[in-house]
Amino acid sequence: MKPRLKILMPTLREKERYIKFKIFSEESVEYEDLESAIWNTFLDFYGESGVSKFSLWLIKNLWNPEEQTSIIKCNNNSVQEVVAGLGLISRLGDDRIIIKILGVSGTLRKLK
Amino acid sequence: MQFYDLHIHSAFAEGESSLEQLAETAKSLGYKGICFSAYFSGDSQIKQLKEKIADVAKKIKIEIFLGFEARNIKDLEKLKNRRQKFDLLLVHGGDLELNKLACETPEVDLLTHPELERNDSGLNHILVKAAEKNNVAIEINFREVLLASKKTRGKILANLQKNVELAKKFGAKIVLCSGAISHFELKDPQVLASFATQIGMSLQDATNSISKIPQEILTENKKRLSNRWVMPGVEIVKEAKE
Repeated sequence: MKPRLKILMPTLREKERYIKFKIFSEESVEYEDLESAIWNTFLDFYGESGVSKFSLWLIKNLWNPEEQTSIIKCNNNSVQEVVAGLGLISRLGDDRIIIKILGVSGTLRKLK
Repeated sequence: MQFYDLHIHSAFAEGESSLEQLAETAKSLGYKGICFSAYFSGDSQIKQLKEKIADVAKKIKIEIFLGFEARNIKDLEKLKNRRQKFDLLLVHGGDLELNKLACETPEVDLLTHPELERNDSGLNHILVKAAEKNNVAIEINFREVLLASKKTRGKILANLQKNVELAKKFGAKIVLCSGAISHFELKDPQVLASFATQIGMSLQDATNSISKIPQEILTENKKRLSNRWVMPGVEIVKEAKE
C-alpha cells in the first residue's frame, strides 16, 4: 500500500466555496468549450500566478447540459475574483453567452 | 436587493438589440430597472421613445427609464434646456473639455466612461471635487473592459482604479453599468459588483453602486420631473397665499 499524507487539521484546511452558474445562449453549449473558455479567460486576466491562488476547479460531473448549469469550486478568499472572471467570458466558440450566478455556498448540498 | 443598470443602448441609439430583448434579459438577470440611453435628435424623438418604453415596461414588467447621452457641448446645452422631459442626463466622457463641463453641471446625472480612449484617467482631484459638489456620478463601464484587447485592458483597469481612488477620497458617487449595446453584453449584478472589487472598491460600496446609488439618482430625478422642482436643491414646498 502506498504511503499517504495524514489529513490536515480542519483549522489548517483551505475553506472552499462552490459557485453555481447558468449559461444563457442562443444554442446550447458544450462542456469542453466552457472549460477551455474559463481557463483561457482566467489565465489571460489573472495570469498563472493569480489563478494558482484560487484553487480553481470546474466540476465536470456537475455540468447539466439540459439546464446549462455548472458548478465551479474555489477557495473562500477568491470568490469575487472568480465571479468577476466568469463575467469576462462573453463567447464560447461562435456563440455569444451571458453567465448568471445562481448561488455561492460552502457546501455542494446547499447548491443542488 | 434592487439592482439598476443606468447605461444601456438599444437599437434606437446605435445598439444591436431591441428594447424588448434588452428588457427581458435584464429582468432574467435580476434587475429591477434599467435606463435606455439615446442620442438626442429632436423633440419628437423624446415623445416617441417615451411611448415605446412605456409599452415595453408594461409588457415585460420591469422599470424602464429614458436617458439621453450628450456627445458634445452643443448636445449638452440642448439637453440641459429639456432636462425636465426625460429621466436621466448622461454625458459621453473621454473628451477632457466635456468631462470638465459634465462635472460642473448640476443637471448632469452621470458622466460615462471619463477615461474612454485616453492615456490618463480623464479625471483629476478638481474635477472629482466638482462632481461631488454638483452630485454628478462617475461611471465604471464594464463593456469598455470586456471589449478591450489584451494590450489596452491593463491601461483601462489602471485608469479605472485611479478614478475609483479619487472618487473614494473626495466622496463622489460611482455607478457601475454594463454599457451594453446588445442583450448579450448585459451582466449579472453580482458579476459587476465582483468586478468592481478588482479595481479597488469594497464589496459593500460596489453593491451600493448598482443598487442604492442608482436608486437615489432615479428618486432625485422623479422629483425633478415634478412641477414643484425649481433647480437642484430647490423645490417648492408650499406656495405663498396672495
